[in-house]
Amino acid sequence: MNRPASFNFAEHQRRARRQTMLLVAAFLAITLVIAAAIGLLAGVMLAAGDQAGATQQQTTAPGPESMSPASLLQAMDYEVAVIAGLLVLGVILLAAGIRSLMLGSDGANVAKSLGGKEVTRDSTNPSHRRYFNVVEEIAIAANQPMPRVFVIKHEQGINAFAAGLRPETAAIGMTHGALASLDRDELTGVVAHEFAHISNGDMRLNLRLMAMIFGLVALYVAGRMAMRATLLRGNRDQRAAMAGMAIGLALIVLGGLGMFAGRLLQAGVSRRREYLADATGAQFTRNPEALARALKKIGALQRGERLGNPHGEEVRHMLFADGLSLNAAGLTATHPPLVRRIQALDPAFDPETDPVWSMSQRDMMKQARVGLPR
Amino acid sequence: MELIIILVVLIGLGAFVAMLYNRLVRLRNAYKNAFAQIDVQLKRRHDLIPNLVESVRGYMTHERETLTAVIEARNQAESARQQASGQAGEAGAMAELSRAEGSLGGVLGRLFALSEAYPDLKASENFQSLQEELTSTENRVAYARQAYNDGALNYNNAVQTVPSNLIAGMFGFQPATMLEFEDREAIQQAPEVSF
Repeated sequence: MNRPASFNFAEHQRRARRQTMLLVAAFLAITLVIAAAIGLLAGVMLAAGDQAGATQQQTTAPGPESMSPASLLQAMDYEVAVIAGLLVLGVILLAAGIRSLMLGSDGANVAKSLGGKEVTRDSTNPSHRRYFNVVEEIAIAANQPMPRVFVIKHEQGINAFAAGLRPETAAIGMTHGALASLDRDELTGVVAHEFAHISNGDMRLNLRLMAMIFGLVALYVAGRMAMRATLLRGNRDQRAAMAGMAIGLALIVLGGLGMFAGRLLQAGVSRRREYLADATGAQFTRNPEALARALKKIGALQRGERLGNPHGEEVRHMLFADGLSLNAAGLTATHPPLVRRIQALDPAFDPETDPVWSMSQRDMMKQARVGLPR
Repeated sequence: MELIIILVVLIGLGAFVAMLYNRLVRLRNAYKNAFAQIDVQLKRRHDLIPNLVESVRGYMTHERETLTAVIEARNQAESARQQASGQAGEAGAMAELSRAEGSLGGVLGRLFALSEAYPDLKASENFQSLQEELTSTENRVAYARQAYNDGALNYNNAVQTVPSNLIAGMFGFQPATMLEFEDREAIQQAPEVSF
């Protein structure tokens, strides 16, 4: 540590933070637009119903000219539109709130559900001892409380995660393969990256986005319920049936679109937060090269990225490298492509010639054992 | 009317001074707190060294001189630590602490270099786990020092720049001294020498 770093972590952090803000703002804007659109529709439907009712009383058949959009907008009851819009927003937020209460368990529980075994201060296993020490060191560097520390045994790949919504309840986990294949500096780089997720509040941010997406899902479900209810009731009242169908359809379409856009934005935010965590971790250790080396080792062990656990989906965001797919370049990937992350930390990186990029796990393990008792 | 304007200006000025003063106090508390963390880690380091010396004594029979030097340097560093304990940022105490820690790092580096010649020692589990603890402690000291220096820099910036420098002068806020350990290379090399 304390090597003069050419890596400008402050600039990288600023950029990642700015981009996150834009994405989150886009997310909120989409939610508001959806609520407003449904509110508007409700207002228009009601006005249409009233007009239809009024014309029915005057003549036998409603003239098509009286149903033109302009006249509907004019006749629209803005109060109803606003109330309906707020109601929709309320449903989204309520569903999001309930969902986030359900998801907000502490980090240790998440770690245990992934099959993590806790490592404590009095562990006698030398590599666990070193791991625990490294976490304590970074807790000092990050000026954060000490999280609980876990190992996922029987997992040969290199992977790590941070879980828990607040620093006080956070947990850090590392696969057995990571402990066996990374040397002390590389391990420190990975731990610092995970610590950065905790101190940047990424789990909280991700949880909120997931909850908001759930709110949009609730909208979609409400739309389907409205459709079914109108269909089941039959067409006793043509007017009400038409309004019910239209609103139900709008909820389904807008909720569905919102869900889809929300997922894309969530993945985008997540990718930004990975760059941010890389930069923040480099700030803690002042050693971006070691983190870059750890990432190269992950690249070398492509199979190291997969985590064989059914709960993987829930913690996807927290994994150090994308735990579920090798194709990490798409719009729905939660992590940026490995090569790009390495190049951000080490601009001289060239996959063709880099020795670590093509290292075998046996060599890694040999190197990692340095400094540990046999 | 004029009285009210004067009063408003005075109150505004007073609030501004209070704000600057509070900021200085906050920054000073932050770097002092960071120093307390260094103190904890240095103590840990000093407590480990007698154990280390005990565990190598049986193997390194020909290095009595070096062992004595390690103990001496450790004792000096410990007394410098105790001296500096209440005086975070004070120039004399910081200089003495850097000197003492620097020379402790130097002799420790020599000890680890010599341990190369004793394969039995190197293979000993006790020695290796002590080495891990020392490495970890060195890192903790380095991180805590990084945090302290960042804090001291923020505080110094506030003490020396307009407008808070006026308040700092008025209320006697002294700039803090950064902590750089001489022979830092040796400290960092120390644990690596025995690979």
